[in-house]
Amino acid sequence: MNHYDIVIIGGGPAGLSAAIYGARARLKTLVIYKGVIGGMAETTREIVNYPGYGQTTGPQLMQDFKKHAEDFGAEFLNDEVMEVDFSLDEKLIKTKKGKELTAKAVIIASGCKPRLLNIPGETKLRGSGVAYCATCDAEFFEDEDVVVIGSGDQAIEEGMYITKFANMVTTIVLHDDGILDCNKLSAEKAFNNEKMNFVWNSTIEEVLGKENVEGVKIKNIKTGESSELTCQGVFFFVGMIPSTGFLHDSGVEMDQKGYIPVNELMETNIEGVYAVGDNRVKYLRQIVSAAGDGATAAVAAERYIEEFNDFKANVLESDKPVILSFFNPIVAGSLTFNTVLEKVVSDSGSKYKIVKVDISRKKMLAKQYGVKETPFSIVLNKDTVIKQLNCLMDSENLNAQLQDNISAVRDCPAKES
Amino acid sequence: MELKKINAELFNKAIYDNNEACVVVFTRHDCHVCKEVVPRLEEVSEKYQAKLSFYALDVEQDKALFKSFSLKGVPQLLFFKDGEFYGKLAGDVEEEDMVGKIEELL
Repeated sequence: MNHYDIVIIGGGPAGLSAAIYGARARLKTLVIYKGVIGGMAETTREIVNYPGYGQTTGPQLMQDFKKHAEDFGAEFLNDEVMEVDFSLDEKLIKTKKGKELTAKAVIIASGCKPRLLNIPGETKLRGSGVAYCATCDAEFFEDEDVVVIGSGDQAIEEGMYITKFANMVTTIVLHDDGILDCNKLSAEKAFNNEKMNFVWNSTIEEVLGKENVEGVKIKNIKTGESSELTCQGVFFFVGMIPSTGFLHDSGVEMDQKGYIPVNELMETNIEGVYAVGDNRVKYLRQIVSAAGDGATAAVAAERYIEEFNDFKANVLESDKPVILSFFNPIVAGSLTFNTVLEKVVSDSGSKYKIVKVDISRKKMLAKQYGVKETPFSIVLNKDTVIKQLNCLMDSENLNAQLQDNISAVRDCPAKES
Repeated sequence: MELKKINAELFNKAIYDNNEACVVVFTRHDCHVCKEVVPRLEEVSEKYQAKLSFYALDVEQDKALFKSFSLKGVPQLLFFKDGEFYGKLAGDVEEEDMVGKIEELL
């Protein structure tokens, strides 16, 4: 089994950015990607809003991202994650090709995939006139009539591309006359394109045709009337759904649609597990914001791993018994207690090692040891809790508690190990 | 295993002269779905290469052939047996579906 510091699930802009930061921090970093590198960005023909690149293509930009990550030493695996176990300190990941690997931190960057409408004819006529990718298929509709469903950036921009080949492109739009969901520049271009035609206040009910697409059934949502429109092709651009199905039993919290809520550090509800890019709950789903997410998560993961390694070396592998003393910088009593504790321990010959834990930062440890309020101190021998101290500011009392404890430690067989 | 690339001439020879049982995937170089489907078919081909042939054909090279099957998009997997067209699978086809169709054909 291979062990990594960070495993990134997904090779789009968010995952690749995380890989750049992770690998540059000299962490052993792996990107697991399905299909091709670059995610949904790879499928974008033209990119004009990534800073520093006036105009580029999705595949070109993603190759640059990948090379950047590779140059820093990130590893890549073309495979699909089927199952995860995030309950362990070393998180376990199982892939479709039968690989098992572990990671101290996992960054989920699995992105989104196109949503299907699941209307009659959609699946049956896929590849026979029903299409989802203009770059791939527009040319097959030369001089024919095509219907585009949707009015977001993708729908309008892909629709415009299809006009290079098709006779007429009719866009079915949910909104009132003149309102598109896409950016204003693309909307202006679309309205000025003679081959672009719009049907407002409408949705699609069915794709018609036996062997090939022959038309669509359209419903006007204002009047409730249905009508048929003859066409040879239908392109669906009706939004995305998160590719987070593999996380169903992982314990990672998701909203109803499957998006993962995170905090400012991209942390999910599970320690050491982060979610970045299109698969998290967020305001803007763009390459530039995905890259920011990836960087944030990788830095947060780096600190988490440092904490994890520190704790292992300083506490779990310490020669002396350890007093874990939890404090909170805004609770004066918890700071005073640490001062008293330090004095008592040093006066009695430093038989203990004191490890102070700020619960406002190290939430993982606080949760692990059930700390609700500070001061809170426990005595540990390796990974065994010997006792919880009664955190009084009274040196004598504290000293007595610790003397008791020394004998407890002496009797404890774990000490020999 | 990389799929054997063919053109229209080899296509006709394999299917109509040699009556090979085979799968032909029609692709385009700039189609991202093809980039996902082809490796999947390559994996499937490892298991079945003794029983049938696997080919890849770029539609840019032979548009006439593509049109003759009145296909409307790539990737498109076409299945043949005994010189006859047996069926097709289009779009982002999963491995299970490829295997299902192959088993049916055999």
